[in-house]
Amino acid sequence: MHNATTRSARSRLLLATAGLATSVLALAGCSGGSGDEAESGDKTTIRFLYATGDDTWNTVVDQVVTAFNEQSDTTEVKLDPLPAGSDYATALKTVDATGNWPAVVDMRDTLTYVNAGKLAPVPDEVTELLEPDAFAPAEDGNVYTVPYSALNGELGMNIVYNKTYFEEHDLEVPETYDDFIDLLDEIKANGDVPLATAAAEVWPSDQLWKPLAAPVFAEYSDDGGFWNAAAAGDAAVADLKAPLEELKMIMDNYVLEGWQSTADAQTTTLLVNEQAVMATSSAGLGRLMDINKVDPEFDAGLFIIPDEDGKINVLKNSVVGDTAGGLAISSQAAENEDEYASAVEFLTYFYSVDAANLMEKDGWISPNIVGSDEVVRNDTIPGAEDFFALLENPNLVWYENAPTLSTFSSVNTFFRQSRIEMQDGQTTIDETIAKVQAELDAQVAAAG
Amino acid sequence: MSAITEVRVRPRFSRGRLAMLGFVVPALAIYLLMVIVPSLQTVQLSLTDWDGISDDYAYVGIQNYEDIVASGRFWNAVRNTLVLGLGSALIINVISLVVALMLDKLNHAQGFFRTAVYLPALVSAFIMATIWKYLLNFNFGSVNTVLRDMGLPEWARDWLGDSSIVIWVILFITCFTLGGNTTLIYLANLQSVPQELIEAARIDGASGAKVFWNVTWPMIAGAVTVNMTLAMIAGWVIFDQVLVLTSGGPGFVSETMAFFIYKVGFGEYRAGFGSAAAVVLFIVVIVSTVAANAYMRKREIQA
Repeated sequence: MHNATTRSARSRLLLATAGLATSVLALAGCSGGSGDEAESGDKTTIRFLYATGDDTWNTVVDQVVTAFNEQSDTTEVKLDPLPAGSDYATALKTVDATGNWPAVVDMRDTLTYVNAGKLAPVPDEVTELLEPDAFAPAEDGNVYTVPYSALNGELGMNIVYNKTYFEEHDLEVPETYDDFIDLLDEIKANGDVPLATAAAEVWPSDQLWKPLAAPVFAEYSDDGGFWNAAAAGDAAVADLKAPLEELKMIMDNYVLEGWQSTADAQTTTLLVNEQAVMATSSAGLGRLMDINKVDPEFDAGLFIIPDEDGKINVLKNSVVGDTAGGLAISSQAAENEDEYASAVEFLTYFYSVDAANLMEKDGWISPNIVGSDEVVRNDTIPGAEDFFALLENPNLVWYENAPTLSTFSSVNTFFRQSRIEMQDGQTTIDETIAKVQAELDAQVAAAG
Repeated sequence: MSAITEVRVRPRFSRGRLAMLGFVVPALAIYLLMVIVPSLQTVQLSLTDWDGISDDYAYVGIQNYEDIVASGRFWNAVRNTLVLGLGSALIINVISLVVALMLDKLNHAQGFFRTAVYLPALVSAFIMATIWKYLLNFNFGSVNTVLRDMGLPEWARDWLGDSSIVIWVILFITCFTLGGNTTLIYLANLQSVPQELIEAARIDGASGAKVFWNVTWPMIAGAVTVNMTLAMIAGWVIFDQVLVLTSGGPGFVSETMAFFIYKVGFGEYRAGFGSAAAVVLFIVVIVSTVAANAYMRKREIQA
């Protein structure tokens, strides 16, 4: 007869071993390691972390990765998408906290991660595939990010509109800011809602704000940009009072109700359902492609809100490696020779003519690669002519505003939330300015 | 003599006990490594300017705590946390007790109704919040669509975007999700109340209400303490619902302390500041829970 007190040494050892094995398993589970980054058979599997956005970008990523996997004998790329609506900077930080970096990462807040040694240099064999002005080294001479689209700055931050409605009501695309306000008034006088915008996520609040603030930002373009001037005390958040007043006035008078809880992607539906005549967007051609998928009959166009003099001010930062977003290789992947080689192989394909043609076919403007002449451009998307016309517009003025403050993303997020708070009527414009200035000052002081 | 032999045969750390200890130690080690040590490290980090990513950081004394006290955003998060913590604890307990009393009186299909009451608790807060987010969408949600179809368009609201009501909407959704366990605990306690006490009270002429207040209520005092404590703790650390439903917005208006900690620590690269906020949250949870427990325990003794 066996019981707990007469159990043999052998069985006790077995039990103790089982307990130890269980705990080791648990510990192994907790440790995470490099996740899917592993060699399976002859192929090395790596992950590609990216922010899901509009349907066009999601399709582009999926098709490029699928095509790469089919032609590669050595590497399999697995997609690691972060859901739309999530705060990508927060999600990226969470990835870092788990110590489980994918090999290829769609980066934000690059400077912070470069300083922390989380990114590996992108090798020459990748950068050689890009036009020289499409990338640039960081302060240490290394290139850490390479672009995932053409260098058109924020040209994709548009107002998308219902062309049929414009034709029926004899409306014109505005040539000045005053024209834009007149346009809003005319649509409102027709009994329709002029504009749909979104703030369920924080970042789409830029879509209406940035074109309004662009004239002020553009003034500081030659002096290192507005935010660097503000950090140095040569500019102040109060300088943005006029565009903040314009923003508040537009929100109060012309925007579709419910914007506070409307997600960015829903503005497409609101436009197509004719619940609003225009909608804000930051996806450029991608948004036109999405509209076409939802309703092929819908005649969409786009424009950018001009300033009082008719200039179209668009942000286009120089491609300094410190601040530019883009695709990067993680340091964690670089520690493993096979993973690094696979990441380089994938990026090499990403900047091939084949991949560029896939992107263009899906409605994405491919990065500026050396083989651009061989790329077949897609001008079949309804409304695409408006986008390409913007590039030729004589009133187009590129400006720079690339903050060098490593904690600028904190200030930016705070500013976005504070603006939404102000737009919603919870605070006044002066209170918002004071709060954001205090936050900027605190971050500058913290950065030393 | 035999007693001495017994001591020798059963040393304090017998092989059996060592084997049992062998099972406990790994779990204890994991718990210490994964929970206790990081928790203690939070106190250390709260005194630094760590960004959460870099290897280096500097000690800044109590600067983070001073910033927290001076932050209107933080106090708004504290207010929301108190509303959700205390509000959900009170509402959930009242509703759960009423539902448990009704279930206790049921003679038929008790199993079915118990299951129906408990089902929402089986769905994760994240999923439940996502479903509610779709239902409450201003332009496309079922709630507003039904109201408009019923000829009540003025009742349609931006439930998750109206800053004057959003925290109460989150409170409603939280209560909807968390009530199942509370109801079951009350039901189990109600069914353990000695029937002879209730019958004796009735024979003495006590009305239904008097029986409840003088017999049933004191007998379930322990369950009230447990349920209030659990509900308050769940309320203090509400995170999923806020993340999914509003991301703390519009603006900062629906941020809770747990969400605030996550946002500044992870999204704004201020791990030191976030750690200080976490320490403050810990103190709030401990103080409020201990105080509430002390009050409720006292009531139990009196009962």
